[in-house]
Amino acid sequence: MKPLNLIALLLFLGGAVWALTRSDRSVREIQNAYYAAMSPFLKSGSKMETQARAFLQETRHSKELEAELEATREQLGRLRLIESRFRALEYENVQLRHALDFKKATRFDVVAARVIRRNPATWWQTVEIDSGSKRRVGTQLAVLSNEGLVGKIDRIDSGGERSSVLLLTDEKCQVSARVEGSPEVGILSGQRGGFDGEPMLRLRFLSPNAAVRPGQRVFTTGRGGIFQANIPLGTIDSVEKGALDSEALVRPSVNFADLGAVFVVLSADS
Amino acid sequence: MIRYSIITILLLLAAFIVQQFLPAFTGLHHSRILLVQLVFLCCAVTVGQPTMLLLAFIGGFFWDAQCALGPHGGDPEVYTQQVENLRFGYSILLFGGMGFLMQGIQPLFKQGKWQFSALLSGIAVLLYLAAEYTIINFVRGDFTLSQATMRQMGYTAILTMLFSPVIFWMLFRIAGICDHSINPEAGRRRRRTR
Repeated sequence: MKPLNLIALLLFLGGAVWALTRSDRSVREIQNAYYAAMSPFLKSGSKMETQARAFLQETRHSKELEAELEATREQLGRLRLIESRFRALEYENVQLRHALDFKKATRFDVVAARVIRRNPATWWQTVEIDSGSKRRVGTQLAVLSNEGLVGKIDRIDSGGERSSVLLLTDEKCQVSARVEGSPEVGILSGQRGGFDGEPMLRLRFLSPNAAVRPGQRVFTTGRGGIFQANIPLGTIDSVEKGALDSEALVRPSVNFADLGAVFVVLSADS
Repeated sequence: MIRYSIITILLLLAAFIVQQFLPAFTGLHHSRILLVQLVFLCCAVTVGQPTMLLLAFIGGFFWDAQCALGPHGGDPEVYTQQVENLRFGYSILLFGGMGFLMQGIQPLFKQGKWQFSALLSGIAVLLYLAAEYTIINFVRGDFTLSQATMRQMGYTAILTMLFSPVIFWMLFRIAGICDHSINPEAGRRRRRTR
């Protein structure tokens, strides 16, 4: 081996070891610097994409109608979310009345955001939204759509205008979940490499003889410090019983192929 | 030579920007064109080992900066079995491995047979994805490999490979502008036949 090649190889290995030994904090700093450098390109790219889409739609709708439709959609999404919350609260209220234990009503303070793009990774399921720290969005906050839980905020851009959402369909997004009408609780997460057709979720750590059946709905428990209680997650598709624990495949309530407007929960359970 | 090397680095950085806007093909098992890896692979076969290693470091470092996920953050008493993250920097080694693979057929490329390199770029992308998926399984445990995952890797490799002639064409043009020959033996042979 030529001396220059050997030196280059040693430098390369040294650099790789240096990168591999970075702490989580330094990785976040590196990511922030990377996305700060990328930001102008992403902004102008998104702007061009939006303009192109608007231009194509203009043949069908006037701009005024389009804005009105967008506002109505956002409003409808918000109202649906409130409605689902009211249903959950109604259920909760009945339960609490039964237990003669009164609790302060839960309130959601949400920020509406638009999904800008999916991040170009093969194995990780993340999307970028157009809200960041400027709109009080922080990491580890729950992200909902009018259908249910979408995921959680994973990273905020240093510019404060964007953030990255780790989708519920990713294996790393774990949610403490309960099955409606049963005492069963477990951990729900995405499936590794589940790309065939509609993504399915895995509800693990159910009891070995879990009395759950297909069609039952799954909600968040509110435990674990990230997700609020009673957010719809999906419906049980099949159950696989094991010797130590049972697992269920859950069909997500959210259509992840068509994510448009989402809501970041800023605070709840006041 | 130096001018050409600098341009390949700039080309790799430009690939990171373009990659952001390349969507996944949902009809083909969410496969996508891995432009960053493709540009790196095509450049790797046209440069010397030190430049290839520099490109591998830049490519792997920025790829991980783009994709790394944060910690789980939930209550460890509830989330007792948290899913492990892949260590930042693992892509640098994967890029390096792919680069060495491409340099293995550099003699053929220098003879002007770039088609072999184009074919190998597809194989290298497939091996890269397989290695990445194996690392995920190794780190997180519970080995699973579905047909859909295999198809996703296969389609991604094929789609990426189909674009390699375009990248090679660009590299030949850039080399021409920089007065640098990336396949000197083919050039010599051409001159002899004239």
